[in-house]
Amino acid sequence: MSSIFSRLISALSINRRLRSGCILLLCVVLVVIFAGAIAPYDPYKLGDDLMVRPGVGNHFLGTTAMGQDVFSMIIYGSRTSLSIGIVSALISGVIGTLIGAAAGYFRGKFDIVISEIINIFLMIPTFFLILIIVALFGSSMLNVMLVIGLTSWPSNARMMRVQALSIKERTFVKSAVAMGESGWRILFKYIIPNGIFPVVANTTMGVASAILTEASLSFLGLGDPNVVSWGQMIFDGKQYITSAWWISTFAGLAIMFIVIIFYMIGDGLNEALNPKLRRIR
Amino acid sequence: MLLDIRDLNIVYRMRNKAIYAVNNVNFSLEKGKSLGIIGESGSGKSTLAMAILKMHNLKNTEVTGQIIFEGRDLLALDEKQFKEYRWTRIAAVFQKSMNNLSPVHKIGTHFEDIYRVHEPDISSSEIRERVYALFHMVNLSPRVYTCYPHELSGGMLQRVSIALSLIFHPTLLIMDESTTALDVITQGQILEEIKELEKVVDVTRIMITHDLFVVATACQQILVLYAGDMMEYGDVRDVLNHPMHPYTKALIASFPSLRGEKREVHSIPGTLPDLSVKTRGCAFYDRCRAHREICRQEKPVVCQTGGLHTVCCHLYGKIRETDVKEGVNR
Amino acid sequence: MRRYIFRRLLTAVFIILIVVILNFTIIKTAPGDPARLMAGFDNPSEELIQSITEKYGFDQPFYIQIGRYFKSVIRGDLGDSYLYNQPVARLIADRIGPSLLLSGVSIILALIIGSLLGLYAGKNEGKLIDKIFSTISYFLNSMPSFWIGIMLILLLASHFKWLPTQGMVNVRANYTGFRRVLDIATHMILPVITLVSVQIPTYFRITKSAVMQVMAEDFITTLRVAGMKEGAIFRKYVFKNAVLPIINVFSINLAYVVAGSMLVEIVFSWPGIGVLMYRSIMMRDYNVLMGVYLLISVSVVIVTILMDLVNAALDPRIRYE
Repeated sequence: MSSIFSRLISALSINRRLRSGCILLLCVVLVVIFAGAIAPYDPYKLGDDLMVRPGVGNHFLGTTAMGQDVFSMIIYGSRTSLSIGIVSALISGVIGTLIGAAAGYFRGKFDIVISEIINIFLMIPTFFLILIIVALFGSSMLNVMLVIGLTSWPSNARMMRVQALSIKERTFVKSAVAMGESGWRILFKYIIPNGIFPVVANTTMGVASAILTEASLSFLGLGDPNVVSWGQMIFDGKQYITSAWWISTFAGLAIMFIVIIFYMIGDGLNEALNPKLRRIR
Repeated sequence: MLLDIRDLNIVYRMRNKAIYAVNNVNFSLEKGKSLGIIGESGSGKSTLAMAILKMHNLKNTEVTGQIIFEGRDLLALDEKQFKEYRWTRIAAVFQKSMNNLSPVHKIGTHFEDIYRVHEPDISSSEIRERVYALFHMVNLSPRVYTCYPHELSGGMLQRVSIALSLIFHPTLLIMDESTTALDVITQGQILEEIKELEKVVDVTRIMITHDLFVVATACQQILVLYAGDMMEYGDVRDVLNHPMHPYTKALIASFPSLRGEKREVHSIPGTLPDLSVKTRGCAFYDRCRAHREICRQEKPVVCQTGGLHTVCCHLYGKIRETDVKEGVNR
Repeated sequence: MRRYIFRRLLTAVFIILIVVILNFTIIKTAPGDPARLMAGFDNPSEELIQSITEKYGFDQPFYIQIGRYFKSVIRGDLGDSYLYNQPVARLIADRIGPSLLLSGVSIILALIIGSLLGLYAGKNEGKLIDKIFSTISYFLNSMPSFWIGIMLILLLASHFKWLPTQGMVNVRANYTGFRRVLDIATHMILPVITLVSVQIPTYFRITKSAVMQVMAEDFITTLRVAGMKEGAIFRKYVFKNAVLPIINVFSINLAYVVAGSMLVEIVFSWPGIGVLMYRSIMMRDYNVLMGVYLLISVSVVIVTILMDLVNAALDPRIRYE
């Protein structure tokens, strides 16, 4: 594990994009933790000031048609987005790593089946699958996290599988096999730690796409009705777009901001991993 | 003299620094006497080749000195004038990783397109006939013409590349790491074939490689480069049998000898110096076992030791008395 | 080649099979009575529940249920929407035209614009123009599609009052002939701009990186040294080598693009599948939802397989594998 950690540290020191992404993420995490202290209003409280323009009164970003403070909603919405994004990406990262590493290392029938499943998953439209499951099974935050996580692991698994295939051929693994170490031990001791870096980068990108997926679900009315969500705000603001543009606009900017942070981190990790990539984009 | 290179300097200008890739290189090439340029990666050998082909990036690369080819300074020519030389008199084979040909085009397409650069009106059947003749020379079957690159083996691709370079019967052929990616047996075969070929075609090679074996088997002259500086130059036999420069000696010691007596293989400790700093003294100073104080202070001058054999090293130049004392005591 | 086509088609059938099974499993495992779920709205009559239970054999063993479901799906029977009181297949058939029109036009435009910009940026890598394009692409890539649509309505429609923001035709005017075509075209402007902006980054990035990779290959250097003109090298060699990754990405991204289209349709009330799907979510008309999912999956799989075949036809390396 320490090798992964030291690689991350060295990546941080080389790559500026990665560094600034991490700093911004740290800021967002602070906002998430101290949301209660930062937000001037209770985002769930329906106030008396309806559709107040940004800057009027104490409403920095205005209010909604029901009198909720937009700024406070955005602050609290970061909790929803970030937790759904990170938890579902972690689920998908862990499942993908384990399945992919096992398939690539053990090969055989297991690998054939897994590769086939990965191919199928990558071909069918996952978003609609998520949508239907959430529609039928209920749209609590936990459900949304689980469903996004359980449907998005194949890309991680594919990546880890390729890594496992190549690491398997390296001398240190072969000598471990020769010394009689068990397959599972080798998997956790050599294959996964040495091949996980690209999966980490992909998982970071996965956070961004999970956040976008969650926003889309909320926009379709399939978000958790009990929490504030940026997607839901965009949808609610849509009908007032000519009279109260600020509701949708700021919620969308918030999504964009957080998604870009994760793209920066993911790209930064990829670049640090593969210096050739730096020139592309 | 086919090619005469005088005081060649090549500098890459980057945003905040300069890379001194080739410094004060002098050598000449006689017709029929193929030259091997040897050095580790980063020694400036490929940069040198690209400059002879005028393929350096005009915006950020500064090339000074003279590259006199058949009596004309190539550096003084503009692109339009140089077009007369491209592929007709100077051709090249690059093949670092088997991608010398476009994977989605047939072998024949490459030949047709290059033929038509200089002879726009030539018919396809005419091209085909000439290419078949070339294929015959490099031991390829005519069938290859309609193949895609992925259908051929590495050795066959190499022969295709050589045929491609010989289209217009150039007088100078630059081969940049051309056989590096091949297995040893195929490499040997190709080198033999090239030597055979030269009995029929009048072409002189510059082979750029990091493999002493290639130079030893297929070249008559050798130029040793280190960090863009010339180390040693001369006839292959002279240099390999009586190396003078410490770097050349170390280079030879780092290659296992096949036929000779068993001996230890020594790698050269250390790495190339930072090319963005213009060294005052000898470039090999840090890694040289025999270095003296003067090696750090002054560039060694070219020292002719008889015949072609030249070496750039203070060990063989005039050494001031005081330096000897200091140097020996170190 | 024939064997390859056959193998790919077999894969397609297999995947569609899986999708159907998945679909049915979701209905079966969802909380509640599957017949009640299929019936949709809150208080279905007992006779309705009874007839659905009988139709799919929900009182029979699982393999009979899935067999019946299969049979009806193959016959094109996706169940009925009790909300619209119409067969689901019918509902979809009525709305697929507008959806195809919108996504078709935007995919083609995005493909052309995105890859041209990518070619240009790849050729001028590192220059100011490349940096501008790349930055715009980065930002576009991080915006939700529906939000881009809403922002366009906000920014453009209020200034250009003639730009319609809702629907596909002007319902009050009832145009015919050429006027109708023009009417539809103006209604398409905003949704198409939205969808194109969503998709451009994908094609831009892949084209740019493909171009840069090809340009660094030795064969390009050889052609240059040989004196071939830069433009000719680019048109013939760089282009053909860069096209393959673009096709690949096209099929990989298709599912994502379709999802984006649905959301954008909702923003602009485009009378297509997206709005149908949205209503079925709101009204819990699950039969419609499942039908839409099935249709989208099947069409994405088919198009992906077709693209694989196109790829195989263009790439000499695949044919012989």
